[in-house]
Amino acid sequence: MTLLNADLTVKGSQAAMVERIALRVAAGQSVTLIGETGSGKSLFAQAILGTLPPGLHAQGTLHIEGAPVALDDPKALASLWGHAISVLPQEPWRALDPLMRARQQVAEVHRLVAGKTNAAAAASEDLAALGLGQAAERYPFELSGGMAQRLAIAAARAGGGRIVVADEPTKGLDFARRDEVALRLRRVTDDGGALLTITHDLELAEALGGEILVLRKGQLIERGPAEQVLKTPTDPYTAELIAAEPRHWQKSPSARRGTPVLSAQGVTVERGGRQLFESLDLVLHAGEVVGLCGPSGVGKSSLGDTLLGITAPATGRVTRSDGQARMRFQKLWQDPPASFAPHPALGKGLEDLMALHGIPRDRLPPLLERLRLEKGLLARKPDAVSGGELQRLSIARALLLDPVFLFADEPTSRLDPLTQKEVIQLLTGLARDQGIALLLVSHDPDLIASATDRQIALSPMLSSK
Amino acid sequence: MMPRCLGLAILAAVLLFAFGLPLVNETDPTAQSLLNALQPPSAETPFGFDHLGRSMSARLAAALRLSLTIAFVTLVTTAAIGVALGALASWRGGWVDRALVLFADSIVALPALLIVLIAGLILPNQPLAFWAGLSATLWVEIFRLTRAAIRAQIAAPAVEAARLLGFGPIYIFRTHLWPELAPVLRATFALTFAAVVMGIAALGFVSVGVRAPTPELGLMMVELLPYWREAPWALLQPVIATMATLLALTLIAGGPKV
Amino acid sequence: MLLSIGRSLGWRLAQAGLVAILVGVLSFAMMRALPGDMIFRIAAARFGYDNVTAENAELVRSQIGDPAGISAFLGWIAGLFRGDLGTSLVTGETVLAEIAHQFGATAELAGVAILLSLLIGPPLGLWAGLHPGGWFDRATVLLASVFKATPQFLLGLVLIVVVAIGMGLLPAAGHGEARHLILPGLTLALGLAANTTRITREAVVQARDSDWWRFARWKGLSERQVVLRHGLRHVAVPVLTLIAAQFVALMEGVVVVETIFGWPGIGHALVHAVFHRDVPMVQGTALIMGLAFVLINALADIAARVLDPREAAQ
Repeated sequence: MTLLNADLTVKGSQAAMVERIALRVAAGQSVTLIGETGSGKSLFAQAILGTLPPGLHAQGTLHIEGAPVALDDPKALASLWGHAISVLPQEPWRALDPLMRARQQVAEVHRLVAGKTNAAAAASEDLAALGLGQAAERYPFELSGGMAQRLAIAAARAGGGRIVVADEPTKGLDFARRDEVALRLRRVTDDGGALLTITHDLELAEALGGEILVLRKGQLIERGPAEQVLKTPTDPYTAELIAAEPRHWQKSPSARRGTPVLSAQGVTVERGGRQLFESLDLVLHAGEVVGLCGPSGVGKSSLGDTLLGITAPATGRVTRSDGQARMRFQKLWQDPPASFAPHPALGKGLEDLMALHGIPRDRLPPLLERLRLEKGLLARKPDAVSGGELQRLSIARALLLDPVFLFADEPTSRLDPLTQKEVIQLLTGLARDQGIALLLVSHDPDLIASATDRQIALSPMLSSK
Repeated sequence: MMPRCLGLAILAAVLLFAFGLPLVNETDPTAQSLLNALQPPSAETPFGFDHLGRSMSARLAAALRLSLTIAFVTLVTTAAIGVALGALASWRGGWVDRALVLFADSIVALPALLIVLIAGLILPNQPLAFWAGLSATLWVEIFRLTRAAIRAQIAAPAVEAARLLGFGPIYIFRTHLWPELAPVLRATFALTFAAVVMGIAALGFVSVGVRAPTPELGLMMVELLPYWREAPWALLQPVIATMATLLALTLIAGGPKV
Repeated sequence: MLLSIGRSLGWRLAQAGLVAILVGVLSFAMMRALPGDMIFRIAAARFGYDNVTAENAELVRSQIGDPAGISAFLGWIAGLFRGDLGTSLVTGETVLAEIAHQFGATAELAGVAILLSLLIGPPLGLWAGLHPGGWFDRATVLLASVFKATPQFLLGLVLIVVVAIGMGLLPAAGHGEARHLILPGLTLALGLAANTTRITREAVVQARDSDWWRFARWKGLSERQVVLRHGLRHVAVPVLTLIAAQFVALMEGVVVVETIFGWPGIGHALVHAVFHRDVPMVQGTALIMGLAFVLINALADIAARVLDPREAAQ
C-alpha cells in the first residue's frame, strides 16, 4: 500500500526552487533525498509538511494513505502531523520541552493525539522498549544525547503516524551515535512504516537502503536503488559527492618531520573545576599533521587553548620552541563567521593586521590565489560570504603571520562535504609545504584517518568528579 | 528609522523652544502681574498667563531648560560611571566582577526617587540633589547592559582571534565591542534621559522637588490644577511639554517595534 | 536544588546587608546635614509653635544626640543591624511602630496594583505573542509603550480629572472602602502592566520560535494544547522575575500615587518625613523598602527554581 505519494514543484516568487519531483513511498519502504545545502532537499520535505518559508509555495498533488491533501492548505497539512506523519526533529535535545519530564512528553501524545485512555502505561512501555525505563521521570537536561534522541523518536511516533519524515537526523551527532540513528530508522520500515529521509550523510543513506534521489540546486540529478546509486553513479556530480566523503579520500604522503615546535609535558587541564584529562605528553614537529579525536566534551578545545597559551594548564608545562613570537601560534575556529568582526569589511581586518605587524602588502594577493579566493571578497562583510570561503580566508589570515603551529578546531564540521574536502586538502597541503605543525580536531574518524599523519585520542576520565 | 527621526525632530523642537525663547523674549518667569492672572492665550502672548499673572511661555521654557539641563548632566555622569564599571567588571571578571554586581544589585533595591529625596536633605540645593540622587541610581542599568554586551563579545571566537593575532585592548574595544554596545546604549541613554525628566516632574508634582517659585514642569501642573476648569489651556501646557519630551525620547529609544 | 537555592539566598543575604549599610550611610549623612535650627523646628512640629520652651527643645536635643565622628557612625550602623531604628523626630513614636501602622495600607494598595496588572498584562501579551504582527499585536505594543512613557503622576492626574471629577464615578481621595482603591490601584497597575505585557509577548514569541514548540506541534498537539501544556510554564518564569524586579518601580510609584490620592501608606509618610526632615523615619522607610525588595526577589529566585529545574541544576 502506498502511504505517501507526492508529485510537486516548489516555487518562489519567480523561479522554481525545486523542479518537479514525483515519489511514492509504500509501507515498509524507504526513500532518501540527498544533496548539499541549497539543493532544495529540505524544501521538498517542508512542502509536504506545510512549513515552507514565507514567499515559497508548492504546486502539484499529494496523497497521504491514498487520500488527496491540498498542498496550499497549511491547516489541512498540519492536521496530519502526529496522526498520519511522524516528524523526527533535527537536534532532538533542543526539540524536547526542557521543563517537562521524559514520560510526560510521550504520554501526552498517546492521550491527546492517539486518544488512548491508558496513556501513561503506553508511554512507559515505549520508554522501556527504548531502554529509557530508568529515565522516565528525568528532565531532558538530565539525559545524555543518545537518550534524548531515543526519547524524541518515541514522542514523535506516539501519535501513530505511519509515514516518518526525518530531516537531517544525524546533524550535529557524534560519530558513534550515527549508527544508532540508522538502526532506529530501519526499525520504522521493518514495522511497516514509510520512511522519507533528508540528509547529506551518504553513510546514513547507504545504511537505510531503499531508493535514493540526488538533488542539486533544486534539480533531480539521479535516482535509483541505494546500492546502485552509491556504488555505480551515472552522474558526475553524484560521483563527486561520493568521492568527497572522508573515507574515500586519497591519503596524501606525509612530509618529512621537522624540528620540534611545541611540546607538552605532564599537562593536566581543568575546566570549571572539573579535570578533563591528566598527565598528557606530546611533541609536535614542523610540517606534521596530527589528528586529535575523542567524544564531545572530552577537552579537545581546552587542550588547544592550553597549547596556544590562552589558558594555563592546571599542572605540567607547555614549551614553545625558542625565539618564536606568540603570534606564530594560531588557531582556526569551528564556526567561521564567528571568528571575524561582524561589522567591518573583511579586507579591513586583514589590512589592520598587516599594518600592526609591518607585513608587506604584496604578501596578500598570492596567498588569496593559493587559497582560491577572489579579491572581491575583501570588500564584503562576513555575513555576505559563504562558510567555506570564510574558513579559507581565516587560513589566509593565519598564514600572513608565518605560523609554526596551527590548531584547527573542527574547522570543517559546519561545511558541506565538497567544501570540507577542499578546505582540508588546502590546509594539510599548506602545512606540509610550509613546515607548519598542524593539530587537526575532528569527530569524524574517517577524516582523521585519511588527512593526518598520526593521531592522538582523548578519552573521557571516568574516575574524576 | 522613521519613528526615530520623528523623535529627534520633536526633541529638537523642544530644545529650540526651551533655549531659544530667552534669546527673543527676556520676560522674567517669576515676575508677577496680578492684572494678567489667568489671561488666556492671545496673538501677542500665545501661551497666556498663569494664576499669578506670570508669563506661561517664559515659565515653560525655564522649566524645560531646568529639566533638560539636569537630565543631560545626569546622563553624562551615569554613562561615564556605567560604561566604565561595566567594562571593568566584564574585562577583569573574578571578584571585581562579583563585588560590582553585588553593589549594583544593592543599589537597585532602593527606589531612585527615594535616593533623590534623601540627597535633597543632604545637599544644599534641589537641582544638585536630582543630579546626585539620579546619577547614583541610574548608572546601574547602563552598567548591567555594558557588562552583558561586553561579556558576550569577549567570550566569542572573534575576540579570541583578535587577541591571538596580536591586537591590543583598544583595537578590540573599537572594532569588536563598541559596534555591539552602541545600539544597546543608544536606547538606554534615551530611556535614562526620560527617567530623569520624569523623576523631576514627579517629585515636583508631589511638592517635594524643586521649590516654588522656580518654574518646574510638575510643580506648574500642581499649581495650575485648581484652575483646571477656568484655564484648562494653562494646565495642558506643562502636561503637553512633558509628554512631548518623553514621547520623543521613547521614539529615539526605538520604542514600539511596529 | 537545595544547594542552588542556598547559594542564591546567600547572595540575597549579602545584598540585604549592603542595602542596610547604604541606607545607614545615607541616613547618617542626612543627620549631619540637618541645619542648626532643626531642633527648634522639630520641637515646634511636635509641641506646636506656641508651646516650644527651652525645656522641650533640650528634650528633643538629648533624644537626637550629637552624632559626630567615626564612632558615632559605627554606633549608628550597629543600631541599624540590631533593628533599632530610633524614634520619629516628629511624633516621638518608635519608627517601627509608625511604619507597622502604615505598612498595611501600602501592602493593600500594592497588592491590588499587582493583581490588576496581572489581569491586564499577561493575557494581552499572550494574545499578542500568539499573533505577532497582527493588528492586535501592533495596537498592544503601541499602547504599552505609550503607558510606559507616561509618568504615573500624570496618569493619576488624568484619572482624577476624567473619572473622579469629570464623570464623578469614583472618589479621588480617601481610604477605607474598596472603591477608594480602584483609582490609585489602576494608576500603579497600568504602568506595571505595560511592562508585563511586553515581557509576556516577547516570551511567547520566543517560545513559538523554539524547536520544542515546533516539535510539540509535530507530535500532533494543537496550537491551543501546546500553549496550555508547554507554553504557559515557559512564559511564567520571565514574567515572575519581571514582577519581582518591578517591585522597586512599584515602590517609587507608591510614593507618588499615595501622595496624590492621599493614601495613608508608607509612601505618604515618607513624603511627610522628608518635608519635616524626620531622618529616622526616612531611614526606616528606605530600609523597609530596600529589604522588602530583596525579600521578594529571594522568593522569586526560589519560585523560578521550582518552575525551571535547569535553574536549580546550575
